[in-house]
Amino acid sequence: MMGTVVKFLSSLRLTVFLLGYAMVLIFIATVSQVHLGIHEVVQQFFRSWLAWWDVWPGEKRLSLPLPGGVLLGSLLIVNLLAAHGSRFRLSKGKMGMLLIHSGILLMLLSEICTGLLGKEAQMTVNEGQIRNYSTFPREVEIAVIESTGDGMETVHAIPQSRLKDGAVYPFPGFTLRVDRYFANADILEEGVVESDPMRATAGAGVGYAVVRKPRETAMDRRDLPAGFVSVMPDTGEALRFLLSNAMAQEQSFSVGGKHWKLSMRQARMYHPFSLKLLDFSHDRYLGTNVPKNFSSKIRLLNPETGEDREDLIYMNHPFRYQGLTFYQAGFANDDQTTILQVVKNPAWTLPYISCAMVSLGLLGVFSSHLRKAVARRKSITQP
Amino acid sequence: MNVFSHRSLSWLLPALCVLALVVNALRSNRAAAGWDFRNFGTLPVVANGRVQPIDSLARNHLLAIHATQRVPGDDAPATPAAWLAELAFRPAVADTRKIFLIHHDDILGLTGLTRGSGKSFCFDELRPAFPALQREAARIESIDAQKRSAYEKALIRLTRNLFAYNQLKHALALPRKENMEAEFGLFLEKVVSALAAADQPEPPDAALMEDASARMREMLAWVPLSEVYTTPSGAGDEDWRKLPDSVIDSAQTGILHPAALAYARMGDAYRAGDVKAFDQAVAEYQNWLAANRAPDLRKSSAETLFNRLAPFYQSMAVYVVAFLCAAFSWLRPDSALRGAAFRMLLIGFCLHTSGLVTRMVLEGRPPVTNLYSSAVFIGWGVIVLSMVLEISYRNAIGTAVAAVIGFGTLLIAHHLSLSGDTLEMMRAVLDTNFWLATHVVIITLGYSSCFLAGFLAIVWILRRAFGGMSAEVNGSLRGMVYGVICFATLASFVGTVLGGIWADQSWGRFWGWDPKENGALLIVLWNAIILHARWGGMIKERGMMVMAVFGNVVTSWSWFGTNMLGIGLHSYGFTDAAFLWLISFIATQAAMIGLAWHGPPQR
Repeated sequence: MMGTVVKFLSSLRLTVFLLGYAMVLIFIATVSQVHLGIHEVVQQFFRSWLAWWDVWPGEKRLSLPLPGGVLLGSLLIVNLLAAHGSRFRLSKGKMGMLLIHSGILLMLLSEICTGLLGKEAQMTVNEGQIRNYSTFPREVEIAVIESTGDGMETVHAIPQSRLKDGAVYPFPGFTLRVDRYFANADILEEGVVESDPMRATAGAGVGYAVVRKPRETAMDRRDLPAGFVSVMPDTGEALRFLLSNAMAQEQSFSVGGKHWKLSMRQARMYHPFSLKLLDFSHDRYLGTNVPKNFSSKIRLLNPETGEDREDLIYMNHPFRYQGLTFYQAGFANDDQTTILQVVKNPAWTLPYISCAMVSLGLLGVFSSHLRKAVARRKSITQP
Repeated sequence: MNVFSHRSLSWLLPALCVLALVVNALRSNRAAAGWDFRNFGTLPVVANGRVQPIDSLARNHLLAIHATQRVPGDDAPATPAAWLAELAFRPAVADTRKIFLIHHDDILGLTGLTRGSGKSFCFDELRPAFPALQREAARIESIDAQKRSAYEKALIRLTRNLFAYNQLKHALALPRKENMEAEFGLFLEKVVSALAAADQPEPPDAALMEDASARMREMLAWVPLSEVYTTPSGAGDEDWRKLPDSVIDSAQTGILHPAALAYARMGDAYRAGDVKAFDQAVAEYQNWLAANRAPDLRKSSAETLFNRLAPFYQSMAVYVVAFLCAAFSWLRPDSALRGAAFRMLLIGFCLHTSGLVTRMVLEGRPPVTNLYSSAVFIGWGVIVLSMVLEISYRNAIGTAVAAVIGFGTLLIAHHLSLSGDTLEMMRAVLDTNFWLATHVVIITLGYSSCFLAGFLAIVWILRRAFGGMSAEVNGSLRGMVYGVICFATLASFVGTVLGGIWADQSWGRFWGWDPKENGALLIVLWNAIILHARWGGMIKERGMMVMAVFGNVVTSWSWFGTNMLGIGLHSYGFTDAAFLWLISFIATQAAMIGLAWHGPPQR
């Protein structure tokens, strides 16, 4: 019994089947990107154990469960390990295969590591501005800011994953309740179109209504989340605010003589250093709108280490610092603002190593095949 | 003695072919009597962000507008450069040339035109419909490009072509001006004296000021009408000015730029029918360029020569002959045709390579920079690999397959060139010769080898079904397909991985699951599947051949299908010509796979 299981798990038939299924999964995921967008597809098809596939995209008529990328990757790893454990013997002739397969194992592991440990954020800086944080473009948070009087502020942030209808968060002197959360919404003046019946009773959102919208799928568009939250003081009447990251200003209220500010904003990642944008330049080819190059001249300021130096970030030339890499990703505001992609990926070296292993292995295996084939032909033509 | 087995045949045919090519090249490069449009075509201008000859400007516009480089009509200009001269210097005549293609009936309805003798219309015929076209274009521009219907796409294409045509009309002269040289002279005289008068303490002459400012307004209004930079000013590559800008600049010095003067004289001579004056103006300006902007003139002359010799077009013809020779050589195994076929392939390959290298030198880039050049390079790669196969197997199969794929990829390249300038500048994100030379070249070689394996397998299927294949040929094909699949696995894997490394270097992620990356991964996986299935004994000869043919489908998806994701798979996009071609290609491959079960049982 055990023997049959091992034989099945280590069989080449299983390898071929799994690789074939990988092609099916990748093809379906590629086609689904038209409607879902890359980000959603990666989460749904590749970083999951089970993927639900809408056969007619966008219509929710028929959803089929498919084994997801994580399940497939795990099975491939099991198949590979079982094959090497049971069938392969360590010999000089098999070294190439061993190298290829170890490299592929490492590659699968590195993709899993990237999925678990990697972070991608953005830093948007205007010329002359200094920033010590990056923002996550697809994630918002509710910031509750307490002014402590001496010019200092304490920021409490509630992450997007915890913004559920009815969730409550206790603060000194009051309780914050999330009345309603919209993953994507339009904020319009009251009475224009049919909207959610809830209304704000205080703050900048009074007189506005919210219309729920479907999630954005296009690569170049982002959701605009919004929500109603109630501030319920321990004594006194509750206030309901409308929050959205489309609103630039923070909204303020007082409870028990203390001043508080409230806002929904892009989730932030703070850094122990700052970047100042000295200059952004963007050249185009003469007489066209085709970009020739973009570059950001930045100054790194780190009070802890005393660093204060300049660097130039441009296409194919990122700035790496403290495990983070800053790439030139875009620009805005009539070329006055740069958008840097900030990536943290502790596993970034693994693909390099695994690729080198597989490439060397393939080269070794195929060149030995070639040598054999040539020798065989020679023996045929010159008996 | 059989004529086909005569040894001299294997040299005679290629020699004849070379002779024909040389004669053809000499003929196409001969200076015609009369108007010197040949040298006019070599004059460099900056358009689409790069220095290019007027000849290329004219060809690319004609290709985009009319889908061929020939203007229809008995009295029509014979070359693209001659057409551009007519458009710039006698626009009223050019406006009667029927060059605008309208395929879609709804556009005909909108423009109020009827299908008369053909589907081509002239600018004058379309003129009354401009308001209607403009209104529709404004509406369509607000629609996401991916969601436009076939009619909407065709309409946008037509309005863009009309716009580009109109811009070209204003590149070298201002329409409705009969005497450009006098016009420029008056402009200089009036504006210079008005500027001088403005510096004097006494009030300037009102009539002079009015005249000068009217002339200045006219010149300023001309500037936005063209996007062609005709006048090299200063020393740098970037320092080019549009014709009206350079005339305005010359008000500072009082001297007209030689380029402005030359184009004015060419136009005046053209309108007056004065061949000698036209040729002299061209020659004088060429001399000035040779003295002052020699590198630009060299580059544009080389590109004009490349355009005129059309090496890719010539090599397509040679590949057809090479294929026929190779196919006939199978019928008579002892014939000298195999050698002839291989030498013909070599001639085609030399032409193909010269075209490829010329493009690389002109661009200063590795061979593959866009979809067009990927098609040219896939064919080139297949021919290199097949020549290796032919040298070691000597059975004309490598030659035949190389000729078919070489011809096919160049045909695809020709159709891709209809969308505009194929030597376009690189966007900032792709502007790195290192990664273009490594990742892009290797992944394209991966495509080449996959197609080669697939077409070799098709030869196996066809010869087995219809030809009755000898055991020796059967064994050779098996070895060839297997070897090429191994090479394809290596090249696709290394190419894909290098792409990941480039992505990691330039935007911080090794793998992002985007359609093009997924397409490349599918090729790697498919080759890995074939090899594993073969090693595991799951497939035999036929299985490997069938899977190699399906590799053609996977590769064409990765090469073209992924680019159509936005358009092709959307409900409106199915009418896209490229999408239909892809579907037809897949259908033929399916038919080949079906045919694999036809023929004698497997040994």
